[in-house]
Amino acid sequence: MATKNTSERFDTVDWDEIAANAPDGNGTSTRAYLAALGLLAVLFVYDLVVASGEATFAAVGVSYDVPLFHWVLAFSLLSFAFLGLLPLVRNRGHASANFAGIVVATGAMLAVIIYDGIYLANAVPTFSAIGWNYDVTGLDYLFGFSLLVFAFYAALPLYQNPRMTSYYWSEFRKNRPAMVSLVFLAFIFGVGIVGPLFINYPEAEFFRKYQPPVFATVSMNFVLECVGQQANGVCHGTWDYPLGTTNQGRDILTMIIYGMQISAKIAFVTTLIAIGVGTAVGTISAYAGGLVDEVLMRYVDIMQSFPTLILYLLILYIFGADLTLFILLLGFFSWSGTARYVRSNALAKSQEEYIKAVQLSGASLYRIIRRHIIPNTASSIVTDLTLLIPAFLLAEAQLAFLGLGDSEIASWGVLISVGRNDLSFAPWITLAPGIVLFFTILAFAFIGDAALDALDPEAQAEAES
Amino acid sequence: MSRNIERRDDNRHKKIDRRAWLKGIGVAGAAALAGCSSGGDGEDTPGGNDTQTDSTDTSDPLGTTQGTSTDDGSELPEVGGTYTTAIGNSLGTLNPLYNTESTAGGVIGYALDGSYGFKPGSEYFPRIFDLSSEDNKTWTATIPEGLTFSDPYGEVTAEDFVYQINEVQKSEWAGTADAASWTEEMTIEEKSKYEFTIELPQVNPLYPASYDPYIYPVPKALMEPYVEEEDVEGFQQDEELLNLSFTGNLGAYKLEEWDKNAKITFTRNEDYYLRNVDGIDRRFSNAPYFENLEVRVVPEQSSRLGALKNGEIDTAGLPKNRVNEFKNNDGTYVNVVPQPYNRVMAYNHRDNGWTTGPGNLFRNKKFRQGIGCAIDKQAIADGIYNGYAKPHYTWQPEWSKWYPDNADIKQFGSGDLYGKEATQSRIEEAISDTDYSYDGDQLVNPDGNQVELSLYYTTTSSTNKSIAQFVKQEFAKNAGINVKLEQIQGTTFRDKYWVQETPENPDEYEWSNGGYNAGPYEVTSSESWDMSIVYGLNTYPLNPTTADVFFMKDSYYNPYGYQPEWNAKELFNQASTAETEEDVQEALTEIFVNVADSQPMGMLVFADDTIGYRTGIEGPEENFFNGWNFSTWYRNE
Amino acid sequence: MGLGWYITRRVAWTFVVTLIIVSVTFILLSAAPNPEVAKAATQAALQGDNPAEAEERIRMIRGLDKPFTERYLEYVTGVYTLNWGWSTMNNEPVTKSVFEALYYTAQYSIPWTLLTITLGPIAGLYSAASQYSWKDHVATGITFFGYAIPNFFFGIVLLLIFGVQLGWVPVLYNTDVPVFSLANAKQLFLPIFVLVTGSIGGIMRVSRNESSEYMNADFVKTAKAKGVSRYRIYARHVLRPTMVPLSTTMVGQLLALFVGSSLLVEIVFGIPGIGRLSYAAIIAQDTSVVLGFTLFFTFLATISNLLQDIVYTVLDPRISFDDR
Repeated sequence: MATKNTSERFDTVDWDEIAANAPDGNGTSTRAYLAALGLLAVLFVYDLVVASGEATFAAVGVSYDVPLFHWVLAFSLLSFAFLGLLPLVRNRGHASANFAGIVVATGAMLAVIIYDGIYLANAVPTFSAIGWNYDVTGLDYLFGFSLLVFAFYAALPLYQNPRMTSYYWSEFRKNRPAMVSLVFLAFIFGVGIVGPLFINYPEAEFFRKYQPPVFATVSMNFVLECVGQQANGVCHGTWDYPLGTTNQGRDILTMIIYGMQISAKIAFVTTLIAIGVGTAVGTISAYAGGLVDEVLMRYVDIMQSFPTLILYLLILYIFGADLTLFILLLGFFSWSGTARYVRSNALAKSQEEYIKAVQLSGASLYRIIRRHIIPNTASSIVTDLTLLIPAFLLAEAQLAFLGLGDSEIASWGVLISVGRNDLSFAPWITLAPGIVLFFTILAFAFIGDAALDALDPEAQAEAES
Repeated sequence: MSRNIERRDDNRHKKIDRRAWLKGIGVAGAAALAGCSSGGDGEDTPGGNDTQTDSTDTSDPLGTTQGTSTDDGSELPEVGGTYTTAIGNSLGTLNPLYNTESTAGGVIGYALDGSYGFKPGSEYFPRIFDLSSEDNKTWTATIPEGLTFSDPYGEVTAEDFVYQINEVQKSEWAGTADAASWTEEMTIEEKSKYEFTIELPQVNPLYPASYDPYIYPVPKALMEPYVEEEDVEGFQQDEELLNLSFTGNLGAYKLEEWDKNAKITFTRNEDYYLRNVDGIDRRFSNAPYFENLEVRVVPEQSSRLGALKNGEIDTAGLPKNRVNEFKNNDGTYVNVVPQPYNRVMAYNHRDNGWTTGPGNLFRNKKFRQGIGCAIDKQAIADGIYNGYAKPHYTWQPEWSKWYPDNADIKQFGSGDLYGKEATQSRIEEAISDTDYSYDGDQLVNPDGNQVELSLYYTTTSSTNKSIAQFVKQEFAKNAGINVKLEQIQGTTFRDKYWVQETPENPDEYEWSNGGYNAGPYEVTSSESWDMSIVYGLNTYPLNPTTADVFFMKDSYYNPYGYQPEWNAKELFNQASTAETEEDVQEALTEIFVNVADSQPMGMLVFADDTIGYRTGIEGPEENFFNGWNFSTWYRNE
Repeated sequence: MGLGWYITRRVAWTFVVTLIIVSVTFILLSAAPNPEVAKAATQAALQGDNPAEAEERIRMIRGLDKPFTERYLEYVTGVYTLNWGWSTMNNEPVTKSVFEALYYTAQYSIPWTLLTITLGPIAGLYSAASQYSWKDHVATGITFFGYAIPNFFFGIVLLLIFGVQLGWVPVLYNTDVPVFSLANAKQLFLPIFVLVTGSIGGIMRVSRNESSEYMNADFVKTAKAKGVSRYRIYARHVLRPTMVPLSTTMVGQLLALFVGSSLLVEIVFGIPGIGRLSYAAIIAQDTSVVLGFTLFFTFLATISNLLQDIVYTVLDPRISFDDR
């Protein structure tokens, strides 16, 4: 199936494979999966409500209290088995490279998780066995999974379809700002993902606080020890701290690199959740119609009406500002816009002639969705994505500004808020991360714009005709 | 904004906090406000120049030399203009009976004088009443004539106070802010129209300095309806109390309008009673000297400082790193005001402390002395507070009159008592009979892993965060201990870590004294912790005996579970019941020597308040009592 | 089954939404440790009283000793009878707090909203009409700048430059000045400017992208061929269909901005509006005020969703009410 693809259009590339491999194709496995999930949920609720405070299986004489980690693990394994392994085995020989790739990679990652969580019991850094002192966190795994999805369903298809890729590329290259933006983002996320693995987090050096960036100066009123040259009551910056230091004397450049990773995590993980849920709900709602549409859209209504910022503030204030919590919160509360957008687009498109024609020709609803609707709303999704990611990064910065950021991590938002009281004399603390954040958002905006122009099959078709 | 959270945390130590702003009469008026708007310890971001401030070194923190009035017969200042100040967050209540916040206390002070205060030189300064006693047990309060409430309440008489104390403060239902200062064992009696007595259960020569008799005058007729109904809600929400409209001639200014989230405006009170009191500074005779007074609500620190710089407001508390800038700025000057509040790092002596292995080394004095040697306190003062702080060695600031200059107070964290050698030799001694040991420079537990201690600090204070970072570095360098930093929200820390779970059967324990000391070591909070930098405490320079609760094993405030190896109870008892000041000093000296030696917690620094004023504002003083005479401040154009 | 019936249904629905949202918020707030209680307990403990008794007393004073369901029912009844309770933080009725704050918020949010919804689509259309020309790039650049720069960050920087350094605008917000006065315009200029630059970008982009789809549509070509004037084409044939998907995005985005930005901008510029007050209320756990603001925002959101849907159907007659 993967080979028969000769179309230049993004829409017919991989959606078939996804659909073919989706469990929906087979009723029994879907039912089995749902049943297993149900059982897990019942057990979980039992643990929370009935057996709270004692071992989960105390009633049957087994003194094993299931920790949260094991619940999550059980859920992941279950989903992996039914959504990944089972279809892969069923369709052996037919499965696309994308699907096989992601299943294998996810499997490998799950194995590492089990090794880390159960064998090492989280007591020592994950890779200490090979002498690498980096402890992988739960968020890192989630991040890894998002990267895998991105690699196999966004990057790999481009490689698999060189003609299509070169076509998009030529379209995309016309837009110079977008090209620059792409390079910039690739740099930011590349350095962000790799950098922190090799650079140590900067130590606080209190006597070296407020060192100015190289080529800049600061009045000696504000520094304790000037690392660079000192003349006429001003302190000059040095290459030791190219972007200066914070109020704790930490090197800002290194902190920004650490912040890149955090931004990458926010961008990838949150987007995966929001787009996944949002697209699914939106398309289902538009084409299922009736009660399903009503219920889903009313739920979206409620979510949209909810003053989310108040909700975030409440939850973060009550439960503490933890980055993982923050990402999950953002992800699961921001798909409503996408859902509505996808739905309204799908609705509008459904009125268009070709869909009607397809419908008349007796194609199944499911086929219409996956062959025509999802590809045709791709432009909306991409637009939305380039709006959503910056919104997430902004939200993080805003909450950090309000003092509800995870101040243990060096996100750009935290750095901005750290420097805001010193803005009048040490503006670099706020400006440096602020400008990086600004350019990152700007880059997303340019790319979104260019991608839309390139991806928009309709406008293109019209133009060619 | 973050600062607000921090302050709320601090406000939880209500009594400590209240004493804080009552430290001098007019302090309520000015310094407290300025101090608050700086965020106190909450947010002052460190930084700036390496100036050892000459001001605090050469000046006189208690203001002993300037305590007397300066009646040089010169012209009185002219009345006019507006004095504008700013606070960081809007005020909840101005009801003097229910307010527990220091900032609001300052604002109340503009319109309503409290009963008395202290002025430079630690001298008692009577306001609404004078306190005197022959035997230090029965204290007589004398109210001058001519103090009046607004219409229709008439003159302030002894009856108003006796009624307030007996029917409101002592009552079960009212739950006023000062309720704990007035216990059933005290007898309050009206002697004449202007005189009443307070009979204490035991002798207390420092009674006024304890601030327990500090009280606001409130008319009896205003309270009566609520007392009869026992209506707390109505009492709290009473318009006259909330808007301070009953204050008559009892305050220098009258509250004009209170726009909750924007500003509070006051106008000059032409009948201020202190104008007619003899024997005080002549400047009081035409006080106050501003036509209007404005308290703006400005949440952003940078906005407050910007406003001070360009003259939109007249005073603001300064973060330490901005002091030099405002000193060198043309339109402003800076006062450095010493404070008795400390930064401490609490050790958890209880069973859920010392999570890194068997036993609890925090209970070992030698070990505490060892880690006391690990932290360079002067470096905290210089590096984090830019020099506007003093190292903290015992439970009293060095400028206090009770600080024993000649006694042998061990200065852990300075000189010989600082460094790797000093630290590790003491820790080695402490662990000699345990399975802990040094493996190279690392202190390892019996399992062979490096000792790792958690250090909780409030998320919202950059100072706390910096100190925590510094402690981590110093412990790693000098003690070979790994510190795991944990940021936490103040409320959560209090609920889950600070307060113990009350045991089901408290009688089984040697003592169980409420949530903050629910019993001996085995009674613990729900979550375990090792060290924390969350709460700062007061060292009470006017009356250090008040600090007894921090050091007695069965007192009602011992969340960290300290059990002194010295006789704290007896010494404090000796100090608070002594007949003469010399005897008090003797007992206190011994206490301070013992606290310094025992290191119940990591005593770090005393931070100064640094307050910026517009040039031309005359009156602020660089001593602990700054603001006591706020009504005489004026603008010298 | 006309418009009237549709609106009636939707308004009824608003009540359901409000109820659900208020309930969720109520539950969340109840789950949080109450700082008032904590404060009372600490106070008592420090003074040698029994903290447990003090907690009980404050619970009684605050009405927290009643069972959860009773408090909940009491509150819900209050909500619908417009008795929103007493603010423990401000010591005044919640409605008074909300309306006072709203007074200040409205002063900058009304001009801001008007400017955004008029300038946004126009700029987008303009860009689309002259796609890839230098005009498009300038318009895009400006809107992209405003879109990409974080509001609060921009606000602080502008205030620092124009307020502190140059002294052109006051650093402190003054509540005394009349609403329609030069002084008020001066102090509100920066917040409105920051907000408009922030919100216009997203709308401009969506409208540019959407309208570019229609720029090439057959009906536009036909209209062009028929010699219909350019502005008429843009207004009737491009702007109108563009508004369909745009309206969905716009309302949602504006609301998100409204709640989010207003808080931060109010903090930066010291405006005592709803954003700042609701944040303060959350920190102080002033339940009545938090719920009051939640109600206000919910009301705002549901009403605008309703308006949006009506606009949606009016603009795109192909979608009928009966389908929904």
